[in-house]
Amino acid sequence: MTIRNAIRDHGQRYRPRMACLRKAEKVLLEMQDPRTGVKSQPQRLVITTIPHAITGEDIIAWLAGRFQIDTQEARSFGSMLVALGYIYPLQDHKRLVIKPDASLYRFQTPYFWPTQQWPVEDTDYAIYLAKRNIRKKGILELHEQEQYNRLHKWMNHKWDFIVMQAKEQYRAAKERKKPDRVVFECQERAYWVVHRPPPGTVSAMDYGLERRIDPNADETQTPDFYERIMIFTQQSIMRPRVKSSVSIGALVKYCTTYYSHDPFLSKCLPSNPWLTDDVTFWTLNRLNAEVPSKMRVERWTFSFGELLSDPRGRDDFRLFLKKEFSSENLAFWESCEDLKWGTAATMRGKAEQIYKTFLARGAPRWINIDGKTMEITVSGLRHPHRYVLDAAQTHIYMLMKKDKYGRYIKSPVFKDTMKKAICPEEHKFSDAQLEQNAKNRRPSLSPIILRQQELEQRARMAANAPVDITQVMSKLSQQGKEAPQRRTSR
Amino acid sequence: MGKEECKTMLDALNKVTACYRHLVIALGSTSDSQNLREELKRTRKKAQELAVANRTKLTALLKDKTISKDDRAEYERLWVLFSSSMDLLEVDMKRSLEIGQDFPLKVPTRHLIQTGMTGSTTTVAARAMSVQNMKYEADSNIDTADLRDLQAEISQVSQMMEEMEMKVQVAPWAVEAKQEAGAELKSNMSVGNSSVGVISICEEEPKEEEGGGGSNTGFASICAVIVFFVIVIAALILGYLVINMS
Repeated sequence: MTIRNAIRDHGQRYRPRMACLRKAEKVLLEMQDPRTGVKSQPQRLVITTIPHAITGEDIIAWLAGRFQIDTQEARSFGSMLVALGYIYPLQDHKRLVIKPDASLYRFQTPYFWPTQQWPVEDTDYAIYLAKRNIRKKGILELHEQEQYNRLHKWMNHKWDFIVMQAKEQYRAAKERKKPDRVVFECQERAYWVVHRPPPGTVSAMDYGLERRIDPNADETQTPDFYERIMIFTQQSIMRPRVKSSVSIGALVKYCTTYYSHDPFLSKCLPSNPWLTDDVTFWTLNRLNAEVPSKMRVERWTFSFGELLSDPRGRDDFRLFLKKEFSSENLAFWESCEDLKWGTAATMRGKAEQIYKTFLARGAPRWINIDGKTMEITVSGLRHPHRYVLDAAQTHIYMLMKKDKYGRYIKSPVFKDTMKKAICPEEHKFSDAQLEQNAKNRRPSLSPIILRQQELEQRARMAANAPVDITQVMSKLSQQGKEAPQRRTSR
Repeated sequence: MGKEECKTMLDALNKVTACYRHLVIALGSTSDSQNLREELKRTRKKAQELAVANRTKLTALLKDKTISKDDRAEYERLWVLFSSSMDLLEVDMKRSLEIGQDFPLKVPTRHLIQTGMTGSTTTVAARAMSVQNMKYEADSNIDTADLRDLQAEISQVSQMMEEMEMKVQVAPWAVEAKQEAGAELKSNMSVGNSSVGVISICEEEPKEEEGGGGSNTGFASICAVIVFFVIVIAALILGYLVINMS
C-alpha cells in the first residue's frame, strides 16, 4: 500500500535545510502589520480591483529597514522568500525573484505555504492539472501536458476520483466573487510553480533526501541527552588549545596566499569551465601536463606539501634531486605513501621490498636516517603494518623540506620551469558562443582509463629508476673487490 | 439498487470534500473570519456524516461474497473513490487544525495574511451544505472550542481509515478507471461555457470568463429585469402611437 502510506506516514520524514521556514513565517507575519508592515496598494485590472498588492521596491526597503542590511542583501533575502513560495509575483509568474522596481507581488495564503510535514502530493497536482485543463479547454503548456500524461499513466486507478474532484473544485471556485476567483487562481498557480517548477524556473524546493528527525523540534531532556552533553564538555576541556591570535593569523595568511588561486574568489584563466562550458582550463591543468601553468608553479612555492601533492611538481622535484644525486629520499617517501595507501594483501611484499632497497645495510638506495629511527623501523618491520614506516618517512620528509626544498626553489631547474610556464589568455565568449559551448559538452575521460595511464607511468618510472651515487659507489667497490673474490652483487 | 445509492452518496461526499478544501485555503488570510470557522465546522460535520454512511454501505456491499465479478470490480472502483476522498479530507482537516492554531481570531493584534481575498465564502459553504443561505449562530470563542472538537474528529477519522483498511481487502492499484485522459473536458459545465461577459485583458492575470457573475440565479434575475424593461418600453411606444392616432 505504498501510495496510501505517504499521507498517514508514521515514519515522519522531514526535509533537511528547511529550518528556515519557521523563521520565514515569523518575518511574513511581521510584514502584515498595518502600521509597521509593508505598504500595500490595490491592483487595478480591467474591470476589477484587487487589494493587497505590494511592490518589489517596498518589500526590499522594508527588509533593509527591519534587519538593518544593505539593499543588495535585502534583495537576495526577498528573492529567497519568493523562491520558497511565501510571496508570489503577479507579472512574470515563472521567474521567482524580486525585482527592485514597481512590479507587483502578493502574499500567499497559509494553506499554500511550504511546510515541513506536509509533502506535496501528486494527487493534488493531478487535480490541479485537470482543473487547468477545464479552464484552458484542453490547451495546456508543454511541460504541463507531459506531466498530465505521466500522471494519467501512473495514477490511473485514481483517475475517476481526480476527474470528479477537479470538476467539483472548479464548480466550488465559481461560487465566489470575481476578484476572489482571480486571486485564488493566481495563488494556486504560484503554488504549483514553486513545487513543480516549469523548465527554466529555479525554486527553493529542491531539497535532496529526507531526514528522520525534525530539525525544528525540541529534543526531549532524557538522561541520555544530559550524558551526551557531559561527555562533550569533558572532551572540550581536555582539548589542546591554540591562542586565537595564532590560529586567526594562520587563517588570514592562508586566505591571503590562496586568494588569487581560488576560482570562486578571483578570475580563473582562461575561463571557468562551469561558467563557460569550455574545458581548456582542465586540459591545461591536467595532472601529468607537460607544461604547467604559471599559477600552478606559483603554488609550488607556497609550501613543500603543495609541491609534493602536485604530481607535476613532484616530477620537477625528482628531476632536481636526480641532478643532486639524492633522489633516494623522494623514492623512499613515495614508497612509504604507496605502502600506506595500498591494499592489505600487498603490504608484506612492499615492506620487504622497501627494506631491501632502502633500509638494509649495503642497500642499493640507502637513505640516511638517524640510529634511533632506524632501530624502531627495523624492529617494527618484523611485523609490518600500514604505518610501520611512519617515523622514517617523517624524518625524510623533514630532511627534504628543510634542506632540499629551499635549494630547489633557488635552482636552475625550477627557474627554467617557471620561465616555460604558460599563462593562458582569458576567453571572451559571446552569448552565441556560450550556447554553442553548452551544446558541445562532452563527458571527460573515464577514471578507469586515467588510473590505467597512471599505473603505466609508474611502471615506466620503476623500470628506468635513476641510479644513485650510493648505487654507483657500491658497484665500483664491488668491482674492485671482484677481482680477489668472485661475489655477485645483490 | 445499492450501486446508484452509493454513487449519489459518493458524489455528495466529493462535493463536500471539494468545498471543504476551498474553505481551508481561505483560512489564515484576510477572508478568514468567525463565519469561516463556523462554515468549516459545519462542512466538516456533514462530511463526516456522509463518510460514515458511505463506509457502512460500501463495507456491506464488499463483504457480500455472492456478488458477480463485474459488480465486485465496480464496488472496488467506488471504494477507491471513497478512500481517496477520505485521504483528502483527512489531510485538509489536519492542516486546518494547524493553521487554525497558528492564526487565532480572538487576539488583540491579529495579523491575518493579506492575500487579496476579501470576500466571504458563504456561497461555497452553502453549496457544501446544499442549502440556499447559511445561517450563522456560533458564539464568539469558536476558534478555540472548535479546535478541540477538530482534534477529536481527526483521530476519529484516522481510526476509521485504519479500520477500513483492515476490514476490506481491496487492492487500489488493480482498479481501472472508467474515465480516460481529458474526460473532464467532456462534461457539461453549465456555468463555465457560457461566454457571456468580459474577458480580462491583463496579460499575466488568468483569463476569466464572467459566466453570469457567479450564480445561476443572479443571471436569471438580470434577464428578467431586462425583459421587463423591454416590455415597458414597448408598451409606452404603443401607447404613444395610439394617442397620436386618436
